[in-house]
Amino acid sequence: MSTAPDKLPVPDPLESTPVLVGRPDDRALTESLLRPISTPPGKGWKAMMGVLALGVGLWLVCLYKVMFEGIGVWGNNIPVGWAYDITNFVWWIGIGHAGTLISAILLLFQQKWRTSINRFAEAMTLFAVAMAGMYPIIHLGRPWLFWWLIPYPSTTQMWPNFKSALPWDVFAISTYATVSLLFWYLGLIPDLATARDAATSRVKRIVYGVFSFGWRGSARHWQHWRIGYLLLAGLSTPLVLSVHTIVSFDFAIGNLPGWHTTIFPPYFVAGAIFSGFAMVLTLMIPARKVFGFEHVVTQRHLDNMAKVTLATGLMVSYGYAMEWFIAWYSGSEFEWFAFANRVTGPYQLVYAMQIFCNVVAPQALWFPKVRNNVLALFVIAVLVNFGMWAERFVIIAISLHRDFIPSSWSMYAPTWVDWGTLFGSMATFGFLFMLFLKFVPAIPISEVKELRRELEHEDHHHARPAAQGGHR
Amino acid sequence: MSTVLGEFADDRALLAAARALRADGRKGLDLHTPYPIHGAEEALGLPRSTVPKLALAAGLTGAVTGYGLQWFVNAYDWAYNVGNRPPHSPPAFIPVTFELGVLFAALGIFFGLLFAYFRFPRVHHPVFEVDAFRSATIDGLWLSADVPAAEAAAVAESLRKLGARQVSVVAEEVAP
Repeated sequence: MSTAPDKLPVPDPLESTPVLVGRPDDRALTESLLRPISTPPGKGWKAMMGVLALGVGLWLVCLYKVMFEGIGVWGNNIPVGWAYDITNFVWWIGIGHAGTLISAILLLFQQKWRTSINRFAEAMTLFAVAMAGMYPIIHLGRPWLFWWLIPYPSTTQMWPNFKSALPWDVFAISTYATVSLLFWYLGLIPDLATARDAATSRVKRIVYGVFSFGWRGSARHWQHWRIGYLLLAGLSTPLVLSVHTIVSFDFAIGNLPGWHTTIFPPYFVAGAIFSGFAMVLTLMIPARKVFGFEHVVTQRHLDNMAKVTLATGLMVSYGYAMEWFIAWYSGSEFEWFAFANRVTGPYQLVYAMQIFCNVVAPQALWFPKVRNNVLALFVIAVLVNFGMWAERFVIIAISLHRDFIPSSWSMYAPTWVDWGTLFGSMATFGFLFMLFLKFVPAIPISEVKELRRELEHEDHHHARPAAQGGHR
Repeated sequence: MSTVLGEFADDRALLAAARALRADGRKGLDLHTPYPIHGAEEALGLPRSTVPKLALAAGLTGAVTGYGLQWFVNAYDWAYNVGNRPPHSPPAFIPVTFELGVLFAALGIFFGLLFAYFRFPRVHHPVFEVDAFRSATIDGLWLSADVPAAEAAAVAESLRKLGARQVSVVAEEVAP
């Protein structure tokens, strides 16, 4: 309580950049945050959708080839049975994890800067998990029989083997997808009601009315909604850690050098958050500009995300170092060879890219100048996305291509269908994301209003002069 | 029964009005706001939310289901030797037990809220009869009271006295 008038408020150096620019009133906030969905799509949006639609077409063509001709259209062959498909799977699922981290873990830690970016990050999670989920299914070879993975009383009288990590994966990924969807939608209901009530056309009013189920902002509903939302956040937090842990078990419980290591669960989780934050930055930097969200997604948000990227990047770098140390310390010549092969083998450029993008490039984020430079941040984020994809390729394909017996060594080279399923999934992800930005309130309106009230209270308590009121 | 609606300029007036009406012994009060208002539960005298208990029950059900399922299929119904692991391998059953616990809890919370707590979908509600009520999800702070039709005018008057900027009465249609 700063009731003493002689005591001047000390500006907190850690809180210098605002999480919300100005103190717009509720109507102005609603209006600005709903603008992307209330105005007709612009030329840029349509052009972008056109380009992405081509990518979606490529993706569908590749899926068609994989399903109707078989997975031989990929470059996979023994010994490299897992290549782009599983690399893409792990890459996408990892990207999804930052969405859950932002929306759930930061909610539990009451981080205010999470508020304006959580919806965006959750949508990224949903679409990334959708893309990720495709790969294990098409990699089955006979994807139309994917439901054999689910335990149900079949006429064959066989059951899945729960002592293998792969059925764990089925449960982890499907639970993760479901919980992410429910969490996202529960947060969305009040904002869909806002979109309903602010709608100018009858069609929009009916559509948003149907999807908001008749939300009327009742205090009784808000009470249960808050508890439910918090509990879902509490459940998502261990869930997200368990999912990537289980994904890492797919490798760690195999005895292949390069896979068989106990550091994988934490190292995969750190890598997932690292790549996910990079992806949020990659998407958010252009979107806030195009859709005019710069007053709610401020430099402070970008700065904080850059710091998380740096921190998780350092954890990942520690993982790389520890892998090398264990390879040497274990005294296993196969283990040591697997690592030496990354540097001196035929795929050394991929490994170099991994180290450059994930270890070297993020070091620039130590400097506030870089974190405050939107373009530099964007470039680093894209590099990290590439680097994390390379990391998964290194772990999966490079470990497989040369294992214990030189006579079973072979090379892997991707075909155009491999590239098509990768780039096609990126385009499909982008396509879905653009639809989300256009039809769903991408910034949580009710939460930003609540944040504004909290900040006003703080302004009041800190007894700041009105001119500095909009400081935080 | 009629529904009386009043819109207030700020949350302090809104909560004060709710407290005053409740002190008068009014039942069927509710607030409608674009975001949760601090103190609304206390002003309306709402009991603690039971959602955590529901979540716990659903989560435990899921975990027991998950473990039971794995025990049944791998240890009882089809005890199949893979890698010489014992048919009943508790450590290997942990991940799926955990995942199903989380899944059931999340499904319980979401659908419990939607159907049991909110009684949704409900796109027709007396409050939606008032056009100005659309502001309740934008910037309006509303109080609603379900009262017998004969008392509606009196409640409307007391809302005005308590500082409501606008007051409306929705008379419920009587089924013929």
